[in-house]
Amino acid sequence: MTGFSVILRKDLRLELRSGESTIALVALSLLILVVLVFALDPVGGVRDAATAAGALWVAMIFAGMIGSTRALLAERDNGCLRALIASPLDRGALYLAKLAAAFIFMAIAEAAAIVLMVLFFNLDFDSRLLRLLPIIGLGALGFSALSTLLAAISGRLRAGDLLLPLLAVPMFVPALIAGVKASGAALTGASFGASAQWLKILIAFDVIFLTSGYLLFEHVIGED
Amino acid sequence: MEPALIEARGLDIAFGAIPILRGVNLAVPAASVALIVGRNGAGKSTLVRLLAGLSAPTAGEASLFGAPSRTLDSAARRRLSIVTHQSFLYPNLTARENLEFYADLYRVADGRAEIPRWLERVGLTSAAHARVRTFSRGMEQRLTLARAMLTRPEVLLMDEPFAALDADGVGLVADLLCEAVARRCAIVLTAHQPITIDGLEFDLYEIVRGRLRPMHGRAIGASAPRAIGGVGR
Repeated sequence: MTGFSVILRKDLRLELRSGESTIALVALSLLILVVLVFALDPVGGVRDAATAAGALWVAMIFAGMIGSTRALLAERDNGCLRALIASPLDRGALYLAKLAAAFIFMAIAEAAAIVLMVLFFNLDFDSRLLRLLPIIGLGALGFSALSTLLAAISGRLRAGDLLLPLLAVPMFVPALIAGVKASGAALTGASFGASAQWLKILIAFDVIFLTSGYLLFEHVIGED
Repeated sequence: MEPALIEARGLDIAFGAIPILRGVNLAVPAASVALIVGRNGAGKSTLVRLLAGLSAPTAGEASLFGAPSRTLDSAARRRLSIVTHQSFLYPNLTARENLEFYADLYRVADGRAEIPRWLERVGLTSAAHARVRTFSRGMEQRLTLARAMLTRPEVLLMDEPFAALDADGVGLVADLLCEAVARRCAIVLTAHQPITIDGLEFDLYEIVRGRLRPMHGRAIGASAPRAIGGVGR
């Protein structure tokens, strides 16, 4: 069994046992979507697909920050992170395992958020949602990659929990714009060509976040 | 002369303007134990962290197996175990699951098969399926010892391993130390005051005002080999 699978299996086992992360993520997504529904359309007017896409991405980003933080938080109990640093585990494998855990927690929350979005914004459960899935998947992957790295940095600092959104959200803005545009195009039923450019930007940012996270994680996690 | 598996050369560390350790030199070859004593805040835990590569010194270098501690490769880290004030155990995993996790992480041959034996050895067989969060401090320390020994380390860094243990637990640590030395493990051990363990020789050091200095002579217990460890204070 590789170090990656040992860590990921342990994280999933802990999550299945407590459900803390996924419950918190789903609850936060629900709250954000409820707030946005009332804030954007308090008198029950037209709820358009582009607005729904924006609301979904807002929910995804804020829930994603909790997911990444919690994936690393488990390692702070009883100094377990030190044990991992002193162990034979490759730190790149640790990053990928934490990223995978955060992505899985986020994906579960997003699945619930998509259902809530359809209900709250009066959309239809149709094939357009299938076009949305890869876009949301790419967004969740990129945000997990970025926020896992930033959570490793902020977790070592006093008031680091406050620092994470201050760093993560501005850095994710270009990918966020691309994701919202691509999602909006998918939900309005526009042609694939209309969202292809935005998808390319999203993929490019995923590659940047993944590569930089993999290369930098070793340096931000090792120092005591 | 046998090469040192654990070595510190001119180690300095300061927290802000406050020096904690100054010019620490230490060499521990295979099959030997360095016992480091000192008062609270003397820098014993800091020294263990430096030796393990978990903290960066302000000056000097700590090395394990002849390589700098902070850049050890995976193969060398597999031969190292650490016991600190923190147990390195996951509170929401059971005792058995914690040991399985570390056996897998260190790729211990027959590690999973060894786990029942280690749980029995540390007196936790009946608590094997209980979550660590329900454990007393002493039970957690016993499981920590099993976690550290399961991987059959060649270098063992132990920061006050007797803490929170009852008389049986102290005897258990003594036995584990004797066995580790018998298989040529190099050990650094810290304690508040000098101790003796039957059948085990220590090189005794004291940290005073940040400096590590040898204490007069060696702390030597009864030389007769023993089946059950005991510690005298």
